[in-house]
Amino acid sequence: MLAFAPTPSTVHAQARAATPDDELRATVQRGRALFRQNWVIAPSDDRASGLGPLYNRISCVACHAGGGRGRPPERADQRLRAMLIRLSVPGRDAHGGPRPHPRYGDQLNEEGVPGVAGEGRASIDWRTLQRRLPDGTTVELRRPRITLTEPGYGAFGPVLMSPRIGSPLFGLGLLDAVPEAELLRLAAAPRDDGVRGRVNRVWSVAEGRTVVGRFGWKANAPDLRQQIAAAMSGDLGISSTLFLTQNCTPAQAACRAAPITALPELGDADLDDLMRYLARLGAPPRRDADAPEVARGELRFVAAGCAACHRPALPMDAGVFAARLGVPPPVVPDCAGVIAPYTDLLLHDLGDGLADHRPDYRAGGRDWRTTPLWGLGMADALDPPARYLHDGRARTMEEAILWHDGEARAARRRYEALGVSGRAELLAFLRSL
Amino acid sequence: MNPLKPVNRPRFRHASPGAPGANSPARRHVLRAALASACVLPIGRAARATTRTVRVLTAYPDEVLSAFEAGFERAHPGLHVQWIWRMPHDALPYLSEPGQHGVDVYWSASPRTYAALANRGALRRLTIDDAGLPERIGATLLADPAGYFRATEIAGYGWAYDAAALGKLGLAVPRDWPDLAAPGWAGRIALPIPARVGFAPVMVDLPLQAWGWERGWALWSEIAGNARLLDRGATFITDEVGEGRAALGLTIDFFAASAVARGAGIAFGYPQHNGVNPGSIAITAGATDVAAAEAFVRYVLSADGQALLTTPTIRKLPVRPAAYAAQPAAGFNPFAAAAAGGLDYDNDAGRPRLGLIAALFQQWLVLDHAELTALWRRVHDAEAAGRDVTAARAALSAVPLPADAARDPALQRAFEQIEGGAAGGPAAVADGWRNAARVSRSQAAAALEAAGA
Repeated sequence: MLAFAPTPSTVHAQARAATPDDELRATVQRGRALFRQNWVIAPSDDRASGLGPLYNRISCVACHAGGGRGRPPERADQRLRAMLIRLSVPGRDAHGGPRPHPRYGDQLNEEGVPGVAGEGRASIDWRTLQRRLPDGTTVELRRPRITLTEPGYGAFGPVLMSPRIGSPLFGLGLLDAVPEAELLRLAAAPRDDGVRGRVNRVWSVAEGRTVVGRFGWKANAPDLRQQIAAAMSGDLGISSTLFLTQNCTPAQAACRAAPITALPELGDADLDDLMRYLARLGAPPRRDADAPEVARGELRFVAAGCAACHRPALPMDAGVFAARLGVPPPVVPDCAGVIAPYTDLLLHDLGDGLADHRPDYRAGGRDWRTTPLWGLGMADALDPPARYLHDGRARTMEEAILWHDGEARAARRRYEALGVSGRAELLAFLRSL
Repeated sequence: MNPLKPVNRPRFRHASPGAPGANSPARRHVLRAALASACVLPIGRAARATTRTVRVLTAYPDEVLSAFEAGFERAHPGLHVQWIWRMPHDALPYLSEPGQHGVDVYWSASPRTYAALANRGALRRLTIDDAGLPERIGATLLADPAGYFRATEIAGYGWAYDAAALGKLGLAVPRDWPDLAAPGWAGRIALPIPARVGFAPVMVDLPLQAWGWERGWALWSEIAGNARLLDRGATFITDEVGEGRAALGLTIDFFAASAVARGAGIAFGYPQHNGVNPGSIAITAGATDVAAAEAFVRYVLSADGQALLTTPTIRKLPVRPAAYAAQPAAGFNPFAAAAAGGLDYDNDAGRPRLGLIAALFQQWLVLDHAELTALWRRVHDAEAAGRDVTAARAALSAVPLPADAARDPALQRAFEQIEGGAAGGPAAVADGWRNAARVSRSQAAAALEAAGA
């Protein structure tokens, strides 16, 4: 008796890890297992032991279902789940980064292992506003209002907060291998509409120096390996050789006294497997790229000025990829060495509407890294309903566009002026990515 | 206590005017900017009722946890689920310790762990309304007769397969376990090692119950001879099939279904002789918030909770028969299958011997697997050539442990193993099985030589 038969393949990042090479397949599969691993509270003889003592989620996949993006809660009484809140206080740390909150560190960990109080809750409710477009169309937007409640370690006091949903994981290895010189060249290149991209300069733990940042919503991580290790530490409380200490502040005595199985909890080999798995995740192939509406939408995307920052072509050095990540790059469609991430990996001022007013190295409160758009059209298929922008406020791609301001104001206004059909074509193009 | 009524705590004041450095120029500057932002609230705006936490110890994957966490918290504002994740073999000692680490609910697909916990007094009797929830399916109990735990979902055994690969090989989709012993399957089957993969011992026991000890083990010897063995670890049975390294893999339905949902081009089939593995739920004896724990149990067993199980990425089988009314007519309904006599496996009868079965499988069919597969190929080739190799077949099919001896409760206890845990048992006994298997293989080889095969 048959139970179910194959459905048409959805494009899933996991499938792109398939490879005929045994050694490569083994490292990718180990990395995938770690990505999906639910971590265990110490002490335990489980290999994946060491969750917390403070943490947000118990696995990587909890914030990146299907390799895709997280989302914010829809109501104030719902917990964050696939989202986190960065915390800091005025000033800078020893390396020029945000100064962590003295009691709560640099990230709100809502959960604690038994015996260790969680740090509190972030409650998000939404305020709506109407945006009227030149043709009379009205679009409802919403913005979050965040409230910290149930403090586990005393009053939060004045604190800078930045909400971040889990980022999509497409093509991270390829972005890691975009030459730094290209980012510097792009930052120096003159562009229309007052657009001026800037590189962030962030601390590389491995190199012990300040380097160009390229990962994270504010380009505040220098490379894929550190980005993963930072997330393991900040989100799951899993130490590695890059972040060797437990994520407890001096005020969190129970946290510091919690049992530890071993340090680091994530060994270098495991971190490498995880990195290589993510490095091998390419972007989903485009759908309907030849459809006339999509082709017209692509032209409108360029003409509106979107492509000035969401760049459709970046060079990628396959040799650097292999040297840094220890595996060959995933198959790149189109011409070898050129990828189509629709980003410049640079910081841009996107205006007050999106600002978190929280400096992060050289990124100011209004600055955000240009979000890669590859895989954008798969967001709803991977983990519906998709939410967009750093805090997931945008419920549609159009809402996300309409929040663009600052350096992106001119491009947004051109989009608004397109009319119903022109906007539909541009959105059709985005859905094809 | 009403689980829906939040516990009120003192209001949290967001800012602390007396904090050190409160008047520094930099701080004032950032505060001005921050207070203008949407991201920070002024003093006193943060009042919220404190949530109550239900700690649930589980071994389910994230797809299950995320869906139930969201659904439960939506249904019960003010209650929050905290997942404590532990594999079954790790859960048993954890929940056996004083205080039970604050865990309120145990929810996992580990019948052996529930039985052990109930025996140790680590669980509290459930007092929930079980209307619409059957006591059994086929030969499997869904509710503990003593009332300590109840199944929330079931999973069926079978095979994931690549229909295109089967077509190229000229192999039909198997209908039942004996089909897998056919020579055409040589090297095409992915088989999880029972001592290492938690769900596999019950799978091995299915044919043993259906065809009896000797005939069942003879089937497993020949199927193992056709198979590639897979250890616990990073690779999945569905990977082996989906990526073409095996044409068919023995697994549980939801593993295959979730792989299909993620894009794997595979299908799944159930054998005619089958059983189910129940995932159950229980409230711990030391639960600190019983009302909240009961709310969680009720939610998982509710129509809404049961409907979540049918989500494509989860796709476990509900225990509430009404949940199948909304499913496609072509979908698998285990209650209908049970009514047709297809789920006759008796979990309770099989449970005491699962560790023994896994250990025997290990000694006989895993440790010298290369030799076993080579001999079975020779047998199959000889039979295809019309030679009489009955003696060789018999030697390879002879289980090293007689049925009577396998029924010895002391021997079963000696090899007891919790799902996913380390295999145990007296080494001398295990070595004896392995030596007996060696002798049988030597006899098979000699018989093949004698037959000119």
